[in-house]
Amino acid sequence: MIAQAQETNEVEQLKQQLRQMQENFEKVQNEQRQQINALTQKLDELSKQQQAAATTVISVPPASAMSDRLKELDEKVDGVVEAQKKTLMSEFNPAIGFVGETIFSQQSKGSPQNGTGYPGGFDVYQRSVELNASASVDPFAKAWVVANGSADASTGETSLGIEEAALQTTSLPWDLTLTAGQFFGEYGRLSYIHDHELPFVNRPLVLDEYIGGESKTPGAQLSWLLPVEHYVNLTTGFGTQFGDSPDAVGSYRSFGAVNYYGRLSTYFDLTPDWQLEGGASWLVNPDSGNVNGELAPNGITTLTSTRRLVLDGDLKLSYVPLRNNQFNSLTWGTEVLYSDNQYLANNRANNFNETVGAWGMYSYLTYKWSRSWSGGFLFEYTQNNQENAAQTYGYSPYLTWAISHWNQLRLQYTHTQPNAATGNQPNDAVYLQWVWIIGAHTHGWQAR
Amino acid sequence: MKLKLFCPTILAVFATMVAVAQSPKLRVVATLTDVADLTRNVGGDFVEVRSLATGIEDTHGVPMKPSFVSLLNRADLVVLVGFDCEHAFLPALLEASRNPRIQPGKPGYVDCSKGISPRDVPKSTDHSEGDVHSYGNPHYTLDPVLMKSAVNTICAALIAAAPEHEADFVKNRDAYLAKLDAEMAEWQATLAPFKGTKFVSYHEHWPYFAERFGLVYFGTIELKPGIDPTPHHIQELINTMKAEHVPLVVREPQFPEKVPALIAKQTGATLVKLPIMPGGVPDTDTYIAEMDYIIHTVADALKK
Repeated sequence: MIAQAQETNEVEQLKQQLRQMQENFEKVQNEQRQQINALTQKLDELSKQQQAAATTVISVPPASAMSDRLKELDEKVDGVVEAQKKTLMSEFNPAIGFVGETIFSQQSKGSPQNGTGYPGGFDVYQRSVELNASASVDPFAKAWVVANGSADASTGETSLGIEEAALQTTSLPWDLTLTAGQFFGEYGRLSYIHDHELPFVNRPLVLDEYIGGESKTPGAQLSWLLPVEHYVNLTTGFGTQFGDSPDAVGSYRSFGAVNYYGRLSTYFDLTPDWQLEGGASWLVNPDSGNVNGELAPNGITTLTSTRRLVLDGDLKLSYVPLRNNQFNSLTWGTEVLYSDNQYLANNRANNFNETVGAWGMYSYLTYKWSRSWSGGFLFEYTQNNQENAAQTYGYSPYLTWAISHWNQLRLQYTHTQPNAATGNQPNDAVYLQWVWIIGAHTHGWQAR
Repeated sequence: MKLKLFCPTILAVFATMVAVAQSPKLRVVATLTDVADLTRNVGGDFVEVRSLATGIEDTHGVPMKPSFVSLLNRADLVVLVGFDCEHAFLPALLEASRNPRIQPGKPGYVDCSKGISPRDVPKSTDHSEGDVHSYGNPHYTLDPVLMKSAVNTICAALIAAAPEHEADFVKNRDAYLAKLDAEMAEWQATLAPFKGTKFVSYHEHWPYFAERFGLVYFGTIELKPGIDPTPHHIQELINTMKAEHVPLVVREPQFPEKVPALIAKQTGATLVKLPIMPGGVPDTDTYIAEMDYIIHTVADALKK
């Protein structure tokens, strides 16, 4: 009985979809017909003028000019028809695009001592081939999928994975937006940006260390644009994974073992050309149990995370001159993270609880002096979130050549200076990143 | 302490909500200053028009400021040029605004390109042709006759949104169209002596303008839309301009002067700076003032 009802419901939905598509098609067809009629009428009038001109002696434009005009109008009619065809195609198909990213690198130290994830010496690394598809689902929601084929930096082994596959409402009341599925949770400034959209080659060390790179999360997120004149946005969500936290915690997961996160962001127009954006984010997993940590120093053989807490503050000051922002801009971005994780430690003899407070940050300045060229400097500092005495500094000047919107080269030098507690060695690296895009590509408002 | 912070915030939210609910005027957000000016002329005292652009920006390069999101969130109508002119900023802003009234296809989404036949519709939108607009060239706003169609579109949208003011909107529209017609006669007379004159510009802003006023649009300094010129392209343009005796180089103010100045110097052409929307240069705050400036600047340059 229930199955029958579901089938009836599905048939009704399909009928409704068909009706809607037919209505859309008819609407476009009518508009097209009207435009063709208008141009045909214009053509007729011109033809009549041409005939009349042939029988009069007053000065007339040369026949070749009239013929050119008719040809031009013909082309216009063709153009309108072609444009309408394109409109129809985009109505019925998702926007699809590919992004490719190749990194050529040279490291002075071998792996893992260089602490970069890249092998020592020279390497060519196809970091990702990203397939994006997005479209409206219905009048109430849109959806997108980002599939990513990538190679392991050290082994070169390739894998294909779904980075994002999510649905987002478009018509909830009270300025709310709900996102569900697997997506990049809104946390901090650069953790929910895809690699190829970063202002430099590699994700900052502190984001890799505390978040696990991108803020990928299978879960749900609710975002609220506050109903005030000043821009304030509040986002909160949860996910069974967040960045590199585990997606499986054994045979049973309580709500306490889920990652909860949020972000409050705001914005100020300091002057028409100067903008300031700021945000505060939090991430907590009250019972992150069973995360096997790496071998740690001080005689501790294992660290097992029991609670995860990461706080984040971010700021972006931009000079975006209204007159020529495509040719000139300045951006200063800074993000500071504080990790306060609890671990169950084992030193071969005993188990004991340990809380490790660690912090890290990055700050960068990018100056754009032409449509194609920009350059900047990235400073990084991070403490290991399991052993805060282990610290690493990073210094990276970079130069970007955006040949076009879809083709970009970036050259970056990075010197990392870890202390002895990290077990790594100072490393000098040169990266050449080549990013290309084909087809449709947008990550929307977040990647602005 | 917490209460001290919490109470003013709640009061501010409540006061804004009440103020928004009681606002008697239609809240219109226009993307660019030309369609903003037309909307002000038709809407008169019954609309409150805010423009995202100030006039000095590139039409495809208006920055996506979060403050625009709050503005669009409360808008009754969004008025745009259309033909994908605002593709670089409007779709993301509309999505972030969470305002269902102004989304594409809704009555509050007022696309002024409706009913206008586009020029230069590309046969292909392959990126080898640069950042082409799939619907055709969107810069019809520099043709005052086509802008009359935009005035009618805006008027119809305002009537649909506030039918109680229909008579006023129609009266305002007719008065504005009459004014535009009168100016148009003067503008055509001013440029009549220069019919057939060729000119180049940095970006493809001027084909509609050229056609309307009998000038010949010769080419662009950009290699392709959105792609900077290469030395080879510049040299080729200089050679063909010399061969064809092109006397005018137009630079839109948002583009750098260096290359247009070099081309003008090498070819002996006159270099002029022309706005692409009201406010682009001083004393061009309205659409009519902008067009007046363009017409007389071109005429003065060609008289030399």
